[in-house]
Amino acid sequence: MFNLIQLFLRLSGFFVFILLEIVCFTLVVKYNQTQKDIYVNTVNQGTGFFHKTATGLNYYFSLDDENYRLARANAQLMEQIYNIGIDTTAVMDTGFNTFQEPKYTFKTAKIIRNSVNNHHNYIILDKGTKDGVKPHTGIITNDGVVGIIRKVSKRYSVAMSVLHRQMRISARIRSKNFFGLLKWIDEENNTRLFSLEDISKDAHFTIGDTVETSGYSAIFPEGVMLGTIENFELKSGNNFYDIKVKSNLDMTNIQYVYVLENLFKIEMEELENTVKQDDE
Amino acid sequence: MNSLILSNIYRFIGLVLLQGLVFQSIGTGWEGFPYLYVIVFPIFIFLLPLRTPLPLVILLGFVAGIFVDFFYDTLGLHASAAVFTAYARTFVLKILEPRGGYNVNLNPNVQYLGIRWFFQYSAILMFLHLFFYFSVEAFTFVFILDILKKTIISFVVSMLFVAIFQMIFNPRE
Repeated sequence: MFNLIQLFLRLSGFFVFILLEIVCFTLVVKYNQTQKDIYVNTVNQGTGFFHKTATGLNYYFSLDDENYRLARANAQLMEQIYNIGIDTTAVMDTGFNTFQEPKYTFKTAKIIRNSVNNHHNYIILDKGTKDGVKPHTGIITNDGVVGIIRKVSKRYSVAMSVLHRQMRISARIRSKNFFGLLKWIDEENNTRLFSLEDISKDAHFTIGDTVETSGYSAIFPEGVMLGTIENFELKSGNNFYDIKVKSNLDMTNIQYVYVLENLFKIEMEELENTVKQDDE
Repeated sequence: MNSLILSNIYRFIGLVLLQGLVFQSIGTGWEGFPYLYVIVFPIFIFLLPLRTPLPLVILLGFVAGIFVDFFYDTLGLHASAAVFTAYARTFVLKILEPRGGYNVNLNPNVQYLGIRWFFQYSAILMFLHLFFYFSVEAFTFVFILDILKKTIISFVVSMLFVAIFQMIFNPRE
């Protein structure tokens, strides 16, 4: 203890020096404009850097919430986009209020299980009946079609991925309206390669044309991107092209998807069934 | 003993007034040549008795600096330099310590230690003081060349005044 006091006494000059220099610099910074400006500027640069780093770190922690929020916002926007141009009134006179009934609803869901390397690939979503998800509804992302929901429980739903041997999507070539069926080429073990079938040999298109959903299936609205034409050939004696389509969507790393429900689907199918029953 | 304190008080008042009233107008008045500042008040610190405890030296330096700052309207600027000089004084005294050490009852002046010693001593301290002062004035080392120019030019002139001060007053205590 005594040694400590001695040390303090010996260093007292140093302490007084430091103390008074702090006082002086405080005065300098406080009462002199030039020095004040330089000081404020420098401090701001320093704190700015720290704030930026801290915000950057915080950003990572909130990334998951942010993703979810964005996905929800996207779902709302998609709902608007896909409901534009569906005129359900069919009234010619614009003097009437042309009330548009929405045709599609979008819900956000997170993929909690996904597989890509089987012949029959399935996706499990974290939304079920309690969130209003119904079977036989489509799943899409901004980049394209992901799959179709097969079975729904209270909290989860299982969907058939587009990477499924029995998956068929009614597709067409954009702005040309030649329609066919899109299916996954599961033999090549490529998650992006699909084949477009039933395009007749009269159709004309080129490599790079966009393939989109046709809207005939009552599951997907028309105009959802599926991919671009990679190459095609017409085998002799065949009436249909063999077209290979490269998908834009990377099925191996999707996280958030949108479950879209066609509100008129039941009505449409019932009507179709009555006609079919009549014919049989 | 009493006269020692009294002469230091006189020196304090005299140098602060000289600095604040006379040399203040030189330092700021020369248009187009902003490098010349004549700073003489650190002589007060140089001539403090050897016996003065270091904290007191620093404190007195601070007070002198603050008073000069009132004249210059640069609160804290001269004070910071003076505090630095007062702290550095111990080390300069240690470097320049003659064989056999100091007689702590005397003052570090020309009479006791000779002209040569005193000018070495005051030159080192004056240079440190001016360099510190101009650094704080610029508040950044971006203008290091300007700082050095100011320091050197002001150093020469200030040392001249230190010599004149010695010749006129010839302080013994």
